[in-house]
Amino acid sequence: MLAPPPLQDPAFKVDRLTVTFPGADAGARSPIMDFSLEIARGEITCLLGPSGCGKTTLLRALGGFARAENTGGVLFQGQWLRAPTSDIVMIFQENNLYPWLTVRRNVAFGLPYCEGTREEKRGRVEAMLRHVGLEAAADQYPRELSGGMRQRTAIARALMVDPKVLLLDEPFSALDVALRRRMQELMRAIWASTRTTFVMVTHNVEEAIMVGHRVIVLGGRPMSVLLDERTDAIPKDRYAPETLALQRRIEDLIESRRV
Amino acid sequence: MTRAASLAPAIFGAGTLALLLGLWEYLGSGGGVALTSVLPPPSRFISSVAESGFRIGLGSQAAPLAQSIASTFFRVFAGMGIAFVAAIVTGALLSLSKVATWCLTPLLYVLAPIAPIAWIPTAIVVFGISNVTAVFIVFMGVYFILTIATLAEIRRLPEEFTTIAGNLGAGPVDRWFRVVLPAILPGVFTLLRTNFIAAWMAVLVAEMVGLRDGLGAIIMMGRNLFNNELIMFGMAIIGVSGFIVDRLLAMIATRVLWWRI
Ligand SMILES: Nc1ncnc2c1ncn2[C@@H]1O[C@H](COP(=O)(O)OP(=O)(O)O)[C@@H](O)[C@H]1O
Ligand SMILES: [Mg+2]
Repeated sequence: MLAPPPLQDPAFKVDRLTVTFPGADAGARSPIMDFSLEIARGEITCLLGPSGCGKTTLLRALGGFARAENTGGVLFQGQWLRAPTSDIVMIFQENNLYPWLTVRRNVAFGLPYCEGTREEKRGRVEAMLRHVGLEAAADQYPRELSGGMRQRTAIARALMVDPKVLLLDEPFSALDVALRRRMQELMRAIWASTRTTFVMVTHNVEEAIMVGHRVIVLGGRPMSVLLDERTDAIPKDRYAPETLALQRRIEDLIESRRV
Repeated sequence: MTRAASLAPAIFGAGTLALLLGLWEYLGSGGGVALTSVLPPPSRFISSVAESGFRIGLGSQAAPLAQSIASTFFRVFAGMGIAFVAAIVTGALLSLSKVATWCLTPLLYVLAPIAPIAWIPTAIVVFGISNVTAVFIVFMGVYFILTIATLAEIRRLPEEFTTIAGNLGAGPVDRWFRVVLPAILPGVFTLLRTNFIAAWMAVLVAEMVGLRDGLGAIIMMGRNLFNNELIMFGMAIIGVSGFIVDRLLAMIATRVLWWRI
């Protein structure tokens, strides 16, 4: 029997990436220096790590938003990623929705840049609104929405342009526990129907295990991979002994690295 | 807030106004009081103007009141409208170039505080006595402030707004028209409203000192004819019109451009 290849056909191959910030001293204080990682296509990868370790910076680099030193970079489907593309859509930590547009119009924002007839697009918007449970709120404005509805709107808008990758930066960190769990289930449901590649940053260990197929713990400065664990084999039950054991292992690891 | 509670400010405001008008009428109808000739009460100045069929002026030169109102409103709105659009275009173009912004910002800050009234002599020399003069004065009164406001609003924009639009496929033109423009409109409009009073006053002064029509001219005509009723009537119309326009602008701000960034 053949040995399983390391990662056949990854979505991302981060190869000796060094991120620079405009204005900052060249590389000196950057959280990401000479960093390498592969992220598989068609699965949910969750990134964990302490605040300020560089998770957002890495996610921005995966979206083509960061400035990389040309000694390395990010390969997306085998091509160097030089600029943002609508194949990779990012959901930011804040300011995701346009306050002057209703939920429906926010969700439809990217449609003029997609193929398809007017009627077909309209149908897709309505189907998406139903899919994320926002049909009743379609004509409301963002300020009238709860935190969970806002994030669902942002996710729906990103999915409308049919991206190959969805990048999510701590999307549920402002939500209460019950809502958070509903959103985690929604993420799994969306993935099950689209099989889109998701890369999700979270600082909640349980969330990473429950949502992800793979959990990567990041830390240190410059940032490195502290733990890289597949969670396919673990039941998606937050109180299963395997789940709790992994959660404990990750929390201990993060705790031990704290200075 | 209940509907009754939200109406309370309007009721109290109108009540106070009615009370003062009643007092004025009472004192004015007393007879013999000096107040009557200098500050004729509303019943006197309104009936005096009504007698001439709401036509202002002497003989064949008399023009209907509506025409005066229309002239002044046209000047104020044309000046503010042109300045609003021009300021947003200027601000947008400046925001494209850091160097241009550095070069022109001091100039904007020097020109902005000049009261619109100060432009009247120059404008009359350059444009003569015409509508262009009045529109120019209003324009100069708000254009620089609104350009500064546009630049500030663009700087204040969350970085994510344009990034997200670009990420979803929007090009530079769409990013501007679908994201930057709607995002900055409420803030710039708020400043337009704040500066409306200055523009309004500038037009009235221009109408008093140069132009021969409009609401400001009514006051001057009253002065020249020693007609205190006409002066009071002109003042009342100016006050009520200014109030209505301010309410209108406030309504646009809360009903049309209600969002905050
Ligand atoms: N625009 C920037 N300019 C300079 N340094 C930055 C910038 N953005 C982030 N950093 C640096 O990168 C570090 C990691 O930031 P970030 O990626 O946001 O962390 P995380 O998302 O893991 O909390 C920060 O502590 C800061 O030192
Ligand atoms: Mg972050």
